[in-house]
Amino acid sequence: MIQLAYYPGCSLHASSQLYDIQCKLVFDRLGIELREIEDWNCCGAIAASKTSDFLALALPARNLGIVDAMGLSEIVIPCSSCYSRTLVAQKTLSSDPLLMNSINESLTHKMGGSIKVSNILEVFARAAGTGILVEKAFKKLTGLRPACYYGCLLTRFPCDVDINDDVENPQTMEMLCEVLSAVPIDWNYKTDCCGASGAFTDAEQSQLLMSRIVQDAVARDANCIVTPCPLCQFNVDVYQDKARKKYGVGKKLPVYFITELLGLAMGIDAEVMQVNRHFVDAMGLLRELKLL
Amino acid sequence: MKQPSYMIYKADTSRPLVDEIIKRSDQNLLSCYQCRRCAAGCPVGEESGVTPDRLIRMILLGDQDAAQNNLLVSKCVACYTCGVRCPNSIQSARIIETLKQMAKEAHRQPLNHHMTDFYDAFLASVGHWGRFNEIEGMAIYETENVAKEIFKGHFRAIIDELFNQAQLGVALIKKKRMHFGLDRVSRRAEIRSLFEKTKKH
Repeated sequence: MIQLAYYPGCSLHASSQLYDIQCKLVFDRLGIELREIEDWNCCGAIAASKTSDFLALALPARNLGIVDAMGLSEIVIPCSSCYSRTLVAQKTLSSDPLLMNSINESLTHKMGGSIKVSNILEVFARAAGTGILVEKAFKKLTGLRPACYYGCLLTRFPCDVDINDDVENPQTMEMLCEVLSAVPIDWNYKTDCCGASGAFTDAEQSQLLMSRIVQDAVARDANCIVTPCPLCQFNVDVYQDKARKKYGVGKKLPVYFITELLGLAMGIDAEVMQVNRHFVDAMGLLRELKLL
Repeated sequence: MKQPSYMIYKADTSRPLVDEIIKRSDQNLLSCYQCRRCAAGCPVGEESGVTPDRLIRMILLGDQDAAQNNLLVSKCVACYTCGVRCPNSIQSARIIETLKQMAKEAHRQPLNHHMTDFYDAFLASVGHWGRFNEIEGMAIYETENVAKEIFKGHFRAIIDELFNQAQLGVALIKKKRMHFGLDRVSRRAEIRSLFEKTKKH
């Protein structure tokens, strides 16, 4: 079995724990063993980056040091925000050895610089490339017309890093959906920010941004949204009803995690994956399409 | 007719402000030629009334006040659309992060205290436990938030806010998504050390 270091992040240990459960189930089916990095800390997310450059780099650096110490060469980070911060920290610190040393002084496990930091979509894409996904996905997701929503942090970064998909029009989730026999729609808001960071600090703005995304998906006849980021999923799911009423969006769309689609196709029970714990009902569509 | 502030050149503050921002953000904003590709992509530009190109002009003109106290700096969601589309690779979100950090260091009142209070509460929780604990973090945030709103006399806003959060909390509990345990890092001393070092940087 392939072994990957796994960084859940604070969100997957709390209100988005369902994503953590789904990741573990889905990766296991794909022949990948996830080893949660021991004693991981919060990556700092947007709070650190807007408060202190040092802290924003130091927090992810500690996690990278732990991966090194575990003897693993690649880490998969499902949360787009954690992924972005960790990749940026690695890139920035690898060209600033003085700063890296200063941070390493405080750490038991020092950061090196050669770990591959991966997002969840690229790991799934690689798995699909080996043919294992076709092999394990025996249930066709016929009737699903997802709007594949990547969010703003998977293909855009504040510094120069390697990006493994098209920056303006990414295709990885569409490719995965097609393997699963879902029919993804073509739409305009794939990488537009949903405003999750302002969900309660600037609710009006956040709901406006999110309503534009749902509006376009509805207009193009999607019957659901699929996303890999737990912050996007939470925001678009939890506040969709409020935003809908305020900004007049015609329909409500269930917001699936990419792991939920993969899991369903591989025959994992929806309730075990906690698909019944969404805010916008996500079970109804699956029942209707006989995908349960 | 009074000239709008972005047309007034402040000679003695311009150069030092530009130099400080270039150094700290590592972005060469001098190479901006006002093509406005950033402005077209900014998701909050219309609501803010200021777009990244305008922000860069404010800095170049030496208007630190305008540069720090505008809605764009407050509303920027760090989606990096500006930076990715800029033909000169200027990451305006990095410039905004720098402006926010500078404002915090100078103890300036932010336009939207909810944002900064939330970041502070988030980091307070991370500083205590090494991980963000939702209940603790939200409690710290709401304490600060409510205190400020009471001081301003915004009682209706407080009631609405607390009601909304309570509603969310109850919904999460009903769906068994509320995490009641304390998520913590064992080697917290390392985290504390990093937070200490942050004060010096």
